[in-house]
Amino acid sequence: MMNVYDQLNEVFREVFADDAIQVTPETTADDIEGWDSLSHVNLIIAVELKFGIEFTQKEIRSFDNVGQMAACVQSKIKN
Amino acid sequence: MMTSCENIAYACTRKVCESGLGDKVAYKWIHNDLSDSDITYRQIEQASNRVANALKALGVTKGDKVSIFLPKSPELVECFFGILKNEAVSCTLFSTFGESALFDRLSDSRTRFVITRLSLLKRIQKAREEGLHDLRGILVTDLPEHQDDFVLSLPRLLEQASPDFDFSPHLDAETPAFIQYTSGSTGKPKGALHVHAGAAAMIASFKEVFDIQPQEHYWCTADPAWITGLVYGVIAPLICLTGQVHFGGSFHAATWLGILQKECIDVWYTAPTALRMLMQEEPQVFSQYDYSRLKRIYSVGEPLNPEVYHWGRKVFGVELYDNWFQSETGSIMITNRPGLPVKPGSMGKPLSYIQAFILDEKMQPALARSQGHLCLKRGWSSMFRAYINKDDLYREKFNGDAYISGDLAYQDQDGYFWYVSRSDDVINTAGHLVGPFEVESALLEIEEIVDVAVIGVPDPILHEKIIAFICLRKDSQWSRALELKCRVNISNKVSTTATPQEYHIVEKIPKNKSGKILRRVLKAWYEGNDPGDLSTMEE
Repeated sequence: MMNVYDQLNEVFREVFADDAIQVTPETTADDIEGWDSLSHVNLIIAVELKFGIEFTQKEIRSFDNVGQMAACVQSKIKN
Repeated sequence: MMTSCENIAYACTRKVCESGLGDKVAYKWIHNDLSDSDITYRQIEQASNRVANALKALGVTKGDKVSIFLPKSPELVECFFGILKNEAVSCTLFSTFGESALFDRLSDSRTRFVITRLSLLKRIQKAREEGLHDLRGILVTDLPEHQDDFVLSLPRLLEQASPDFDFSPHLDAETPAFIQYTSGSTGKPKGALHVHAGAAAMIASFKEVFDIQPQEHYWCTADPAWITGLVYGVIAPLICLTGQVHFGGSFHAATWLGILQKECIDVWYTAPTALRMLMQEEPQVFSQYDYSRLKRIYSVGEPLNPEVYHWGRKVFGVELYDNWFQSETGSIMITNRPGLPVKPGSMGKPLSYIQAFILDEKMQPALARSQGHLCLKRGWSSMFRAYINKDDLYREKFNGDAYISGDLAYQDQDGYFWYVSRSDDVINTAGHLVGPFEVESALLEIEEIVDVAVIGVPDPILHEKIIAFICLRKDSQWSRALELKCRVNISNKVSTTATPQEYHIVEKIPKNKSGKILRRVLKAWYEGNDPGDLSTMEE
């Protein structure tokens, strides 16, 4: 079974149309070309669809890196 | 009219070195991680000489088009001057552009070489699959070795290139220098061609509007892929020896406020959207920083609403000066500025050497306070000289001596100009002009969609937001997954800035009998207003 990071990696590759993306917990918007406030909306929708979850606005604003996003995803999957 | 002038690259780099100021810091570059580097004029001169030599060795010569597809970076500036030193023509492209947007611009400009970085390379290669027949190579700034004969390592080429480059400081004033692409309401984007003579108006406007003193620090937040960033972030401040900073990262409130404080910024040139985004922050965020050095704020791109103006004055304690120009005008035309009382919401008054006026639908002078076409008397040096490959569209922009801007405005009894709206269907979102056609084309690529129309509607942050109206195939249903498909396709094919914020499913797109989308009807539907005369609408 794929772990959260593998699945997030798939989402990132799809959203940013780049098969070379390899996310880590430390990955930030500065590391991925095209990850700006507008494409962030695409990313959030894609992550929500992938995991069948919904983020709150507060959660969305709190993500400084992929690690924080993954932790939030994991907590929602568990619940 | 000037017959010869200085090469812009000479004026910005070598001339300063020849005057003995080569070791002067041209700008401080603040990287994404907030580390910084002081870049001297000599460094820019030598780095751009290397680029010029590398391009020359590849066969680039006068008039060739070389595109720069890089995010904000010192390399972008160096490549720009390297291109101009060969008397080739630079075309800077937003790093947010997707493959379709790139294809349109690279093919229209007949770009011979494009300079990019690895993370953006794939988009160019996808655009190439559509057929970029004039493209001779891609130069990659962070590729350690040549990939093949086409995808080349720029560092490798620069290693072999001399830091000296022989070129003429003076050239024919009408020599093309750069192309700025701008969106049209129908059809493909238009490449506005600018010439070296334009620097005169760029410098004159910079001095008249900003009046930056030798001890003052200046920060223009615009990307050099935008006319504002290129003219007022690169060309004019370098020629005028202005002490300035550049930040390579994107908008983040705390980071930007921190830069204002740490770099003791006196004069700040930004966009209304950035100010409106700052306005959303909690008030206590602003009290954490010291802006006591800040003296003047300028903004451009969209109208600065009075409420943002008043908020800015209260928070930063300084005057805000909004101004107006376009990719076509090449430099500021109408502006608020020190010495001229500000009327909040107004564009201000024309520069001392600019004649602006309002013409009605019959191209006759409009009465004071009457809305009409904002026009300028042709003749300033930075005016665009052509739309590449679109002579007919270029001619349509003029009525005799009057350049028709495409913006609707009015002039009050005191001579101030007030923006009303575009006269065409182009959408101004966060200062970016987006043509509906490009967005609609990307949406029509999606198999579930049979017809589509996009419009711009007022938005409190972005000035205008993009709304899509979609007709689905009979066997398709709207879903979040389909919305994501639309969003991702537009972001990756056109640009993230062109991505609609809302999607509305409709039975039919309103069109007139010749098939033209009736966007005013869609706007009226969206805003709950009367759509007006529908007699021309297709049954």
